[in-house]
Amino acid sequence: MRPILLSGHERALTQVKFSKEGDLLFSVSKDHIICAWYSANGERFGAYKGHQGALWTVDVDPTTTFLASGGADNTIRLWEVRTGRLLKTWEFTTSIKRVEFSEDGRQLLGVTEKRMNQLSTVIVYDIKQDVEAEQGDEPSLRIVVDELPKVTVAGFSYLNKYIITGHEDGSVSQYDAKSGEMLHNAFSHDDGMQVTDLQWSADRTYFITSSKDKTAKLHAADSLEVMKTYPTDTPLNSAAITPDPVQYVILGGGQAAMDVTTTSARQGKFEARFYHKIFEEEIGRVRGHFGPLNYVAVDPTGKCYASGGEDGYVRVHHFDESYYEFRYEVEREREQGIRF
Amino acid sequence: IDQAKKSSANKAVVEARRRMLDEWLAWRERMQADLAEEREDLGLPDLSEEQQALMVDEEDEGDAGREVE
Repeated sequence: MRPILLSGHERALTQVKFSKEGDLLFSVSKDHIICAWYSANGERFGAYKGHQGALWTVDVDPTTTFLASGGADNTIRLWEVRTGRLLKTWEFTTSIKRVEFSEDGRQLLGVTEKRMNQLSTVIVYDIKQDVEAEQGDEPSLRIVVDELPKVTVAGFSYLNKYIITGHEDGSVSQYDAKSGEMLHNAFSHDDGMQVTDLQWSADRTYFITSSKDKTAKLHAADSLEVMKTYPTDTPLNSAAITPDPVQYVILGGGQAAMDVTTTSARQGKFEARFYHKIFEEEIGRVRGHFGPLNYVAVDPTGKCYASGGEDGYVRVHHFDESYYEFRYEVEREREQGIRF
Repeated sequence: IDQAKKSSANKAVVEARRRMLDEWLAWRERMQADLAEEREDLGLPDLSEEQQALMVDEEDEGDAGREVE
């Protein structure tokens, strides 16, 4: 795999996201700046400046018109992708841990951090589909999470039907995205082991979570049932599902030097790990980072993936032929229509 | 005897994989059918906006020269 190293950030990366067409890659870091890159060659497309603190999260809508970001300055900001213009700033009393657009781009959710005297909330804004329109100040939905531990991640399911949240205690919850009512709470990961990431399949009917419990799990969005489990030997920060027809998941994590007695890159396990999505077996690793992988993302067109590291680098890897051609024997059988 | 053991173990692994693959594909088929039905009931096109973004890409290549900042 041919790696491209994107070295525009000065501090640890926190999230990287591809545009839905796959041509652009957005990255956020603790250095307060959002960068945009061409995923094909790693050239810089632009930067979005204005945040006054570390950034935790970024997302882009389906038409690559709007960009949303959030971070430690207690704001969610909405930007015009093409021009870099700041369109809207929503202010809160605690930092923003996550933003995500719905699959139709008409809604944006944000997760506010739980702090002393402040509960976690998930807020939803209706996004007017016009860059010249004044976006509303008030959320269309506010879920106050008072029964469950801190929300760490959240996202919209298919048809904006559910909001799924991941929590500090390792549990995963399902809310009705219209009423805000909690429908399910499942203890998917080990008790007390934070859910660190939640990413969707292309049709948003299933998702993957990663956790500090060293596993990633594939869940059905409607039943919250755990369909698959991917065990590793390191705390995970992120997990992504590759688009069909390739059936892999990519996991990223590793322990920070201060958390382990050894500091070598080898022992820190700073590798992207590829598992077969259906058979739950590890099939390969990609090295390169000098610190934990804080986020992994897959290009929706399936041409490449990107990882954002604690080391301040974004690495973009374009897949070679063997990635697409690899099959298990039983998969080949299936494709050839052989029955036993 | 070792050889026989080995080959029956391999056979069990292959059987297990075959079962996992069948179950997965059956589940996906069901989900996709349910989703298609729900989208149709709501009067929505087959693919979501973000899935449509992938189709657009194949039709019109490159809108070069986009720059910000």
